[in-house]
Amino acid sequence: MADALFLGIAVLTIGGAIAALELRSLIYGSIALMGMLGGIAGFFVMLDSPFVAMFQIAVYVGSIAVLILFTVMLVKRELIFKKIEDPRRKFAGIGLMLITMVAVGAVILDSGIHTITTGEDPVDFRDIGVDFLTYYWPALILMAFILAGSVMGALVLARREDFVENE
Amino acid sequence: MSVIAPKFRLGYFLKGIIDNALWIIVLVTLIVVPLIQVLLIYINLPVVDGELLTPFLAFTLIFHPELAVPLVEAIIRSDLFHIAAFPGFGFAALMAAAVIFVERKMLAKLQLRVGPFYCGKIEGIFQLIADGIKLVSKEIIIPDKADKPIFWVAPLLFVGAAAAFVALIPVAPGGEEFDNMPWVVADLDVGLIAVFAVIGFFPIITVLSAWSSNSKYPFIGGIRALHQMVSFEIPLILSLLGVVILTGTLNLNEIVQSQTSFPWILFLPVGAIVFFIAMLAELERIPFDLPEAESEIVAGWLTEFSGMMYGLVQLGSYVKLYAFAALFVTIFLAGYNGPSIYPDFPQDIIDDGIIIPGMTGPLLTVKPFTDGTAVLDQEMINGLIWFVLKTAAVIFFILLIRGVFPRVRIDMLLHIGWYKLIGLAFVNIFIALGLLYSGILAPAGAF
Repeated sequence: MADALFLGIAVLTIGGAIAALELRSLIYGSIALMGMLGGIAGFFVMLDSPFVAMFQIAVYVGSIAVLILFTVMLVKRELIFKKIEDPRRKFAGIGLMLITMVAVGAVILDSGIHTITTGEDPVDFRDIGVDFLTYYWPALILMAFILAGSVMGALVLARREDFVENE
Repeated sequence: MSVIAPKFRLGYFLKGIIDNALWIIVLVTLIVVPLIQVLLIYINLPVVDGELLTPFLAFTLIFHPELAVPLVEAIIRSDLFHIAAFPGFGFAALMAAAVIFVERKMLAKLQLRVGPFYCGKIEGIFQLIADGIKLVSKEIIIPDKADKPIFWVAPLLFVGAAAAFVALIPVAPGGEEFDNMPWVVADLDVGLIAVFAVIGFFPIITVLSAWSSNSKYPFIGGIRALHQMVSFEIPLILSLLGVVILTGTLNLNEIVQSQTSFPWILFLPVGAIVFFIAMLAELERIPFDLPEAESEIVAGWLTEFSGMMYGLVQLGSYVKLYAFAALFVTIFLAGYNGPSIYPDFPQDIIDDGIIIPGMTGPLLTVKPFTDGTAVLDQEMINGLIWFVLKTAAVIFFILLIRGVFPRVRIDMLLHIGWYKLIGLAFVNIFIALGLLYSGILAPAGAF
């Protein structure tokens, strides 16, 4: 049962990723992207971490995919993209992908993933929170600053110069 | 010769009856009986009096109804029943149907109209059935240049997302028989996060269906819906964090159980108000019904839907309304907790069944409960009554606003969402933190 589920989710994820790249229609491409992100959430559920899975759905499917969809709908594709059909680009892309996957796979295999024991209790999300506030607090503060900086930057960029209050 | 059926002849009538009987016999023998046999292989039948309930015994249920009690219990405890009928979709759809009728009748009373009147003898009570028959029998029209796959699947996805939302709400406490498991389809440790995840699907479905119809009014409505839902999700989520801080859990059932003494609305009224307003915007209800503003853009993103597709979207949106009201009750109004108003079942009936002096018969020996415990115990029914009453009260306030307020402009809407509600939600979080650090309230094990 678990193997069949794993295979199904893997097919959904990889198929969604390929479809997101290859489909001509941008809307269907972003729907495929949503399927891919949902598949990753499914992997997290299978790995006994529903907290991460739910955030994966809420943030990636619920927000980022909506943003992509919104952008795609508001932009006329013909205005910004020129169609460049060159088979060499495709092969170069596939080659690059294979090199990346082999490299990442080598790193993962070398990282001692064999020694991980399965069947342990799932990690409670409260423990994750405690870890964030104690051992990993510099990383948390750094991320908060980066996010605050990006929000401020977005506000500065989006400010309208010609807007008059209470005209 | 009668006027109603001028070509009536008794021979034709008898032939018709015999034909029908023949067809019924043929279909039952060829399809129904084999189907029952196949199903019986897969269904785990309960054991009655130390004897497995075989199909032969199943037919005796007609004469000995007391044998059906364990079967009913087994059905009620099955997952399928939970998902399809009681705490899940069937119950929510029933509530949604009631809401549709009450809304029409109540709005009419508010505006000194009559409202639904002619269907059914009393106050147009059958109006909903008439509307349902109309919607089912109407033709489904698909626009010529629509993106057909998305257009077809969008209403189904909408209802599905609403049903997934309903599945997370605990409706009633479970008795000792259920190991104190609540009556809920999915009792998740991360229930509240799952609610946020499910809410995130609604704008996607809305904007996809709006785009796929390839028409201008739906597209404008869809873009408005997207703006509105995405921006009001933020205060919606932030306003619930105060309760999470005070309870220290994300499980909705544990949040309900933390309110046995007092509801959280007493301590976090700001959060409750923010959540209520954000809820109205998420539900696209007046005064925030810009996505389907009928005087400006026909019916917004619903314009191109017809027939049962429109019916499905309406069903989904009212199920969503029930689910949001139930979430408000669960988080701020103590959920199914309440003083005991439903009396205990009489003990002699539990022990001996219903006894009428001087009479015997199979029906009179029926014990509604097996081995002394109830199918639906007193605690569960009491909790369910309180839950339904509170949900109905919240829905009443949601409906009341529709009769009172006009529609706001979209810039006012976004201004309310981004400037006022998010600020108030943060105020609510600081109130919760103040209560926590001043030592007035704290989750177990916080200090």
